[in-house]
Amino acid sequence: MEQLAFASATIVIGIFGCVLWFWGSNWLLDRALPPRGPNAGRNIGRAARVRPWLFLGPALLVLAVYLVWPVVLSVWLSLHDASGQRFVGLGNWRWLIADDKFRESIRNNLLWLLIVPAASTLFGLIAASLTDRLRWGDLAKSLIFMPMAISFIGASVIWKFIYDFRGEGQAQIGLLNAVVEGLGGAPQTWLTLSPWNNLMLMAVLIWIQTGFAMVILSAALRGIPEETVEAAVLDGASPLQIFFKIKVPQIWGTIAVVWTTITILVLTVFDIVLAMTNGQWATQVLANLMFDWMFRGNDTGRASAVALVIMLLVTPIMIWNIRTARREGM
Amino acid sequence: MRIDRSAGPALLSLALATAPQLAAAQDLVFAPGEDSRFDWESYEALKQTDLSGQTLTVFGPWLGPDKALIDSVVAYFAAATGADVRYSGSDSFEQQIVIDTGAGSPPDIAIFPQPGLVADLAARGHIAPLGQETADWVLENYAAGPSWVDLGTHQGPDGADAFYGLIYKVDLKSLVWFVPENFEDAGYEIPETMEDLKALTQQIVDEGETPWCIGLGSGAATGWPATDWVEDLMLRLNTPEDYDAWTRGELAFDDPKVLAAIEEFGWFVRNDDFVQGGAGAVASTDFRDSPKGLFASPPGCYMHKQASFIPSFFPEGTEVGLDADFFYFPAYEEQDLGKPVLGGGTTFAITRDTEAARAFIEFLKSPIAHEVWMAQSGFLTPLKTANPEVYGDPTLRKMADILLAADTFRFDGSDLMPGAVGAGAFWTGMIDYAGGADAAAVGAMIRKTWDSLN
Repeated sequence: MEQLAFASATIVIGIFGCVLWFWGSNWLLDRALPPRGPNAGRNIGRAARVRPWLFLGPALLVLAVYLVWPVVLSVWLSLHDASGQRFVGLGNWRWLIADDKFRESIRNNLLWLLIVPAASTLFGLIAASLTDRLRWGDLAKSLIFMPMAISFIGASVIWKFIYDFRGEGQAQIGLLNAVVEGLGGAPQTWLTLSPWNNLMLMAVLIWIQTGFAMVILSAALRGIPEETVEAAVLDGASPLQIFFKIKVPQIWGTIAVVWTTITILVLTVFDIVLAMTNGQWATQVLANLMFDWMFRGNDTGRASAVALVIMLLVTPIMIWNIRTARREGM
Repeated sequence: MRIDRSAGPALLSLALATAPQLAAAQDLVFAPGEDSRFDWESYEALKQTDLSGQTLTVFGPWLGPDKALIDSVVAYFAAATGADVRYSGSDSFEQQIVIDTGAGSPPDIAIFPQPGLVADLAARGHIAPLGQETADWVLENYAAGPSWVDLGTHQGPDGADAFYGLIYKVDLKSLVWFVPENFEDAGYEIPETMEDLKALTQQIVDEGETPWCIGLGSGAATGWPATDWVEDLMLRLNTPEDYDAWTRGELAFDDPKVLAAIEEFGWFVRNDDFVQGGAGAVASTDFRDSPKGLFASPPGCYMHKQASFIPSFFPEGTEVGLDADFFYFPAYEEQDLGKPVLGGGTTFAITRDTEAARAFIEFLKSPIAHEVWMAQSGFLTPLKTANPEVYGDPTLRKMADILLAADTFRFDGSDLMPGAVGAGAFWTGMIDYAGGADAAAVGAMIRKTWDSLN
């Protein structure tokens, strides 16, 4: 009840705060630079230049406090020891390069990077183009989209049950092992089978993200001008040719945006690994490594170094993503 | 690894008892002077200290049922001295106390789940020493006294050793759980020595059954149950001095003495016949699910090694002492190391040196401070002057017997090691080892992480 009241109050303050800020800053501008009297022309011009900054002010402030300052602090911390007291130069970075778990994380992150966006986009594209032709396509779409509504932790718990293993002789409660046993195979401890366990963790994210890819791509597919498809049909193109040579090239930009959006998500993947294996059995990833050093190792220096590595990897993709998205007018 | 045991029934009775006057924490669970098992004299003696008008803030990790229990204890201090005592708990105590002491706004008393943190803060000068007199008191009045003094002794900001923390509330790890009925049916005796335990394990296998249920899974903390095994075996194969050196990082993780303990753990855990589900299942089986095999019919296994909190995860309606019981994880006959006990406990330390804080530490030294919690649930004490008759249930009593009979008490080693090792590399190493990795390679890996810490 308390939380509910708190949340409602926050929403009200947030919305009215915005309105108040908008109204207040306009009022102040009118007072300081009145669009009347002898200097009306000059004042209007000045007010027009000041106004955007006033409106942007709170956002810029919040960005500086919550985004820019932490980055600066992270760089500073990464050059200091565990407690952030003593300057150690590049000590944390040297450790990072020599650390086996860091190498394992980089390798795994690369695997995630290659497989998850590709698979999600591919499945999303397939789902989008197939469901567009079905009468019950909308139902299928909502089913595929539904995992998007589940938190990563929730999804991890669900999939942990799918991979669950019970000793031989006990009834298997894991779906995968039940199937394997039903087909006459021996149950496996799936999550401990390196390197395949990485793929099993990726399956969770692919399962979640396919719905996202499908929705965006489906919208893009519908936006393709009918004439191009009709022209191809008249020219005698096969359905596959139409799909690959007419449709896909026209939505190429959207595919790229979906792909990179998922890529950024993948680089920061954390919850799934934490909840399912905590990076054991050679499944460590960068974000979980950072968490480990921050909250188990109490080492702000090393955690910051790992955090910066993640940031350096994400930034170029993010810039490219924003550029493409802008070009696509999304 | 610290797992807090909750105390449902006690909470209920407590809630009923305190319901009418929640605001005034003056309601006492046991009326002073009534029950003759309690040491009411020590309570009356407290009344000589007058702290009326003073406030004492206590900050610790306990929430929910545990908060209600500690509240019920401090109520006696408040009632006797007139001080206004405020306990607050947080599940991110470890981070919060560092911030609070660093910012200069500490509580008067802080309750630490891990001695390592006390050492850290003591070195930074954030904790006031309790004085030699308290150290001597612990030495004299706690079973295995020197162990407790060592646990509370840390280096101050000047580099000199001083006594900083009083351990109050202990839990026990060296326990093997079993179902008495199954043991009776099969004609097994409770093993008195480690040699007997290993022989029993072999005997059960020879008779076509599975002796052990072991699970190392624990979500994000997977691997910790293995550290308890290794620590217990470490204490049974090596001297307490070696154990201490190991937890301090002076005895390397790939030292033959440590590897011997790891390999002894392997004897139990890496044999497909010894463990329910086979050795491959151990690392991924959740520790909360692992004891269930004890209660299957026919039994999935006969023994399960786990700390005193595990009955919370037994099937509903299991009565400890009747449907399930425990025995001391025995020591080797051939090793002359007495009866070592592994456990955990919370350390009380003064983070703001006030008259009330000093008086509160004195209160914790009185038998009544222990007896009030003993009579409820989830509390063990090494204090010899506390009356064991007071224990709320016979299980606690039997655990207390093990504790009081201990020749050596040692704290959960992984909680003493740096976090990156004790809650990181040690876990990973044990999972790899249970999965078939070489002990020496695992030891070297953990050592490498430890060496890399600056």
